Amino acid sequence: MKARWGVALLPAVLGLALNIWLASFPGQNPVLYLRASLGILLLLVGVILSALTCLFLALDAGQEQRRADLLSKAGDDRLRFLRRLDHELKNPLTAIRAGLANISEAPGEDARQEAVRSVEMQVMRLSSLSANLRKLADLEKQEVEHTPVDMVELLRESFDLARSQAGGSRRLSLSIPEAPWPLPRVEGDQDLLFLAVHNLLDNAIKFSRPDDRVEVRAFEDGSSLVIEVADTGAGVPEEELQHVWEELYRGQAARGIPGSGLGLALVRTIAERHTGQVTMRSSFGQGTVVRLKLPAVTKR
Amino acid sequence: MDANRKILLVDDEAPITDNLVPFLERAGFQVAVAVNGEEAIQKAAEFVPDLLVMDVLMPKLDGRGALRRLRQAGNWTPIILLTQVGESVERAMALEEGADDYLNKPFDPHELVARIRAVLRRTRPGQPSLAAASRLVCGPLNLDRRARRVRLGEQEIALSPKAVNLLEYLMTHPDELVTRERLLDVVWGWDYPVGMRAVDTRVAELRRLLDDDPLHPTFIETVTGQGYRFLGPVETVQ
Repeated sequence: MKARWGVALLPAVLGLALNIWLASFPGQNPVLYLRASLGILLLLVGVILSALTCLFLALDAGQEQRRADLLSKAGDDRLRFLRRLDHELKNPLTAIRAGLANISEAPGEDARQEAVRSVEMQVMRLSSLSANLRKLADLEKQEVEHTPVDMVELLRESFDLARSQAGGSRRLSLSIPEAPWPLPRVEGDQDLLFLAVHNLLDNAIKFSRPDDRVEVRAFEDGSSLVIEVADTGAGVPEEELQHVWEELYRGQAARGIPGSGLGLALVRTIAERHTGQVTMRSSFGQGTVVRLKLPAVTKR
Repeated sequence: MDANRKILLVDDEAPITDNLVPFLERAGFQVAVAVNGEEAIQKAAEFVPDLLVMDVLMPKLDGRGALRRLRQAGNWTPIILLTQVGESVERAMALEEGADDYLNKPFDPHELVARIRAVLRRTRPGQPSLAAASRLVCGPLNLDRRARRVRLGEQEIALSPKAVNLLEYLMTHPDELVTRERLLDVVWGWDYPVGMRAVDTRVAELRRLLDDDPLHPTFIETVTGQGYRFLGPVETVQ
């Protein structure tokens, strides 16, 4: 906005400078006489005014449109989020109500204990949903630490953790280049970066079958460090791809697989808070690759 | 052992107090309830509790305001703050203003009882607790809580903000086993599947910069499989 005002004032400033420059030569400031018929002059003034008005209207309409688009998108997002939240709350609450009915009408102590346990589990599920939402809200505005993070070490640790969690059921591989020089560091918050990589790996394992491949690759690309997590798992249908980064979104394939629907939203927020980017390519039935791009710390 | 201990529970949510009161009474405490900060200050004078458990977001006077007023009036009754979701800033403030401990909602009531007992064990009646001190000292280690600065002898140590918070929590709870879950809850403000690793990495950072040998620690001891313990004695410097 400020730059635009600068551009608008530029001709006036230039005129003033030329005026001062010309005035500094006494008697040298030439006088320019213009002669035009009144008809032509009026036509000219009319055309210029019309052109300026058109330009102004066009600019304003464009802005108006953009503002309207943004507002309606924000409205849509909010509505979708509320619907999903409602959905996420509904299921555990239904289970809790059923559980409470079972507790009060339980025929024996065993049945009662069973019902209590089930209610406890649903309460834990709601707690973890609330914790995840808080995490997301915190992340949006919380100050992010800026210390150089060794991504190689972080990737290795996260990879080892995933391998022990997968228990040998996936074919996992990690590739980190060391020539011609080791990977650069990334400036940021190591806990958050670890969480982002962990969530990506966790998803790759969750949405693949035994014997599928899960590959983690890292490389330098210009002034960025790129981390790719690829799998030969279920893949994401094309129409779902644009929604995967949204809060509480769960695709068809994700139904029945435990999760909060907040994992990728967290990854996206973490990437953004590090002025990075995250993108997904996928082919349904073939597999998925997620690419996390983070600005690298400039040369060693 | 807690038979005569009196707890003042302050929360404006009746469903919470209705359920916590019988729970705390079964744990052996004598319990009174206040529904906002102003009532808490009034009841603190009448009921003379041994400890206050106080919510943060309340009508009239909130938990932080009540805490500040009690401390300004020289009332050093230990206080556990129940922080509201998403307010990690709130937690940092609570520390500065002298809450003795805090717990994130939603919490397990057993955890609340454990916290109450730990705080009561630690408290020296009528005296400001470590949690209210602006500077903490343990041997050559010096933590200036207001300036967020750490010195070891004459040397100033550059710690990440999170490491300072971690050290602060450990130093205000000396000689107490602090689980990794607890540190995560208190310092990070949220729990996540890989959180334990985050705690361990930061403790390693602290040890490296404080030159503390994990095998023969002067400051931070590992309690295998459970958590960490700050080896006191910690003193306050006003």
